[in-house]
Amino acid sequence: MPDFSLNVNNTPYTVAVEADMPLLWVLRDVLGLTGTKYGCGVASCGACTVMMDGNAVLACQRPVGTCVNKKIITIEGLSDDGSHPVQQAWLKAGVPQCGYCQPGQMMAAAALLSKNKNPTPEAISAAMSENLCRCGTYHRIKSAIQLAIKALNP
Amino acid sequence: MQKATINRRHFLKLSSTAAGALAIGFMLPGLPALALPGEDCTFLSPNAYVRIDTRGKVTIYVAKQESGQGIDTALPMIVAEEMDVDFKDVQAEIAPYGTLKEGEHDTGGSQSVMGMYTTLRNAGAVVKAMLISAAAKVWNTSVSNCAADKGEVVNTVTMQRIRYGELVCAAARLPVPKAVTLKNPKDFTLIGKPEKRSGLKDILTGKTKYGIDLKIDGMLYAVAERCPVLDGVLVSVDDAAARKVAGVVNVVSYKGTGAPMHVRAGVAVIATNIWSAMKARKLLSITWDEGKKNNESTEALFKTFETLAGGPPAIEVFKKGNVKKNAGTNEVTAAYAEPFLAHATMEPVNFIASVKGDRCELWGGLQLPDWTVNTIAETFAFKKENIKVNLAAMGGAFGRRLHFDFAIEAVNIARQTDKPVQLLWERTDDIRCQPYRPANYHLLKATADKKGNLVSWQHHVLGTPIAYMTEGTDTKNAPEMDGANSGFCYAVPNIFTGYTPVDFNQNRGWLRSVDICVNTFPVESFMDEIAQRLNKDPLAFRLSLLENRPDFKTGDDPGANVQSPSRIAGVLKLAAEKIGWKDPRKPNHFIGLATHSFIFAKSYAAHAIEIELLAPKKFRITRVVAAIDCGIVINPDGLLNQMEGGLAFALTQALKGEITVSKSRVVQDGFFSYELLRYDEMPPVEIHIADSKEEPGGVGEVGLSTVAPALCNALAAAGDRPRTLPIRNEGFSWV
Ligand code: FES
Ligand code: FES
Repeated sequence: MPDFSLNVNNTPYTVAVEADMPLLWVLRDVLGLTGTKYGCGVASCGACTVMMDGNAVLACQRPVGTCVNKKIITIEGLSDDGSHPVQQAWLKAGVPQCGYCQPGQMMAAAALLSKNKNPTPEAISAAMSENLCRCGTYHRIKSAIQLAIKALNP
Repeated sequence: MQKATINRRHFLKLSSTAAGALAIGFMLPGLPALALPGEDCTFLSPNAYVRIDTRGKVTIYVAKQESGQGIDTALPMIVAEEMDVDFKDVQAEIAPYGTLKEGEHDTGGSQSVMGMYTTLRNAGAVVKAMLISAAAKVWNTSVSNCAADKGEVVNTVTMQRIRYGELVCAAARLPVPKAVTLKNPKDFTLIGKPEKRSGLKDILTGKTKYGIDLKIDGMLYAVAERCPVLDGVLVSVDDAAARKVAGVVNVVSYKGTGAPMHVRAGVAVIATNIWSAMKARKLLSITWDEGKKNNESTEALFKTFETLAGGPPAIEVFKKGNVKKNAGTNEVTAAYAEPFLAHATMEPVNFIASVKGDRCELWGGLQLPDWTVNTIAETFAFKKENIKVNLAAMGGAFGRRLHFDFAIEAVNIARQTDKPVQLLWERTDDIRCQPYRPANYHLLKATADKKGNLVSWQHHVLGTPIAYMTEGTDTKNAPEMDGANSGFCYAVPNIFTGYTPVDFNQNRGWLRSVDICVNTFPVESFMDEIAQRLNKDPLAFRLSLLENRPDFKTGDDPGANVQSPSRIAGVLKLAAEKIGWKDPRKPNHFIGLATHSFIFAKSYAAHAIEIELLAPKKFRITRVVAAIDCGIVINPDGLLNQMEGGLAFALTQALKGEITVSKSRVVQDGFFSYELLRYDEMPPVEIHIADSKEEPGGVGEVGLSTVAPALCNALAAAGDRPRTLPIRNEGFSWV
């Protein structure tokens, strides 16, 4: 099995896995970073969203071979202690129900806000509409994003 | 052995007896027993629900299974309220399996708060009473001179204070009181105040461990290919190619089962990692004997429903007066249909099992762990005491984990290897092979006299019963009539309701709000149709049949539910008032209303939905107003979250949720074909909570049933009435 060098949450790792193994399973089963979730494996739910070089990407769609030399951030690395403005906004708005989709939701929001601190409602909709929440927390996700925008634009 | 007959009422009964007031002071195996004098004293735990240590840290063991409904917050709040501790000092933990009486872990039917309320108040009050007694001894004063205040006991004469933690050892030497006084609800300081979910920070930092995240030493991973037709059997499998995939450890097969869980025959690939298992699975070449029922379709099923609907119901459910009276006068008739639905929890179904000789250990989320253990013990000839269960948080359940087909599968797979195995259902499996909310069809007929008074009501429900699956087709438990049975809320003198079961070769199960949702859509749509026909205002028409109608019992047995027409009217009025029902409407804006009682959980909810019509059958939802009366509210923040989420869940069902079947196979295979509501489709929502001093009711399922009929009533007001869900099938579209 080939070795791959990865940079996850600013930590270098070398993993020996099949080249076609999606980043999702490398994170979860090899590195033990289970905060990134499996929801479908086919780009239909957003549960596996992580940041790669600042963009929101679906970890289930990225064979590990395509992730070398990229800067990958997962929910575990969004902040050390839950202090990222998106996490704080999610806390304040009390978003989660079961919480399963929320790492993906927060990574999608964080990626959006890292590029544009004050996105339009249309841009927010475009960025968030790929992330499903079966518990239906969309109403609070909407409020939380507004709280995060406020915090980022004092 | 627990009988395999379990229906909604059955598990309600299980829960309520288990949670009876007797549980106080009940000493539990496996949980810390009362510390005895002379021993090293570190904590006080006079019952299974609460433990306080010498630093004053309180741990509350949550009997009910968390899957997003916020029960890990609401239940601890009840204990903490009676204990008079600062909620910040309280930590919630899952009550380990086996520490509670049989049935008490059971979670479903929105029963958790209702079933546990008195038990948990007592549990907290007992601890407080013991701490106060201990303090009285220290001060050599009477208990009546002592009061509890935020984690301390105060001497009300000297105003001295002692922290709870310092009293723990002295209290542990005291007998557990048999009776305690509970607070007057008007003195509640915690119950009724919004509290953030416990464990929220772990969720937000990705630390929460759901079943899917558990790693057991040496654990292998498995995925399974199942017979595409229910109750089919495996003929042969060629696994040569699959076994060549790196990481694959073994390929094993297992047989299907009949009732209660209808596990499908399967072939599982076991591998050192999930990705290898998934890849290898695709290389399996399997021959199935699909059996005779391999050519059914939902298209034919709905035709059967339609044909049978005009005939007499197979089962008479409720009869009052004579519906033949007044026949033909002012008659209104309509038929409604609703499809099969899948739970589609975001955390795909998964379960871990380990089998070593005559012992079995299980890890994962279960809503009915006792039934699971009893069935596994019986199926695999384990002694019950040799089965260890480790319950885990669930990434959504909605009734999916009332079923435990996956647990039986996991044991079947694990016993063919010497390592623990995590079985994962891929999303395709989840959408294609699960216990579906039954498809159903309704024919309603009503008559009114010349003055426009409703005289008769007939409701014929046709469905594919869940009980046929869990109990077999000879069951007596088939009717799924709630909302159109003896609890029918509107004052109509002559009523006849009946049910016709139709069997169908797909597994069925309970999905959030099951039969109440199924029946509220036709009933509340039809109420509007009648009002329209009689030229009456839909709000006034309903209220005239609800208001001034006293509460009534829905049966003779002592446990029969009580129906409260006035509370049903109350939430309807509240929703109508808040949306401005009587106000002039903007051009092209229309409002629909619907109300109901979630009778098992003693809660009532109504929706008022405003739409803007953009073109014929094309609309935007501009406002949703919900009103709920669930008695005393434990955690308003949790309640709002459930109502908001319930709206999203119900909109999925109203707009686009549908499972169809062709050649006895489910057509949909994931979120592209079984679509859920998305972020940009969530309408603005406001929720109003009725002020009530009644005992608390359940809330997890109450916010769903009135959404589809309120929406359809708004669309009807705009010109076109949908009578089939999802409404997309009738050509409706939305932005
Ligand atoms: S798991 Fe990647 S999009 Fe669903
Ligand atoms: S919070 Fe449960 S799926 Fe989003």
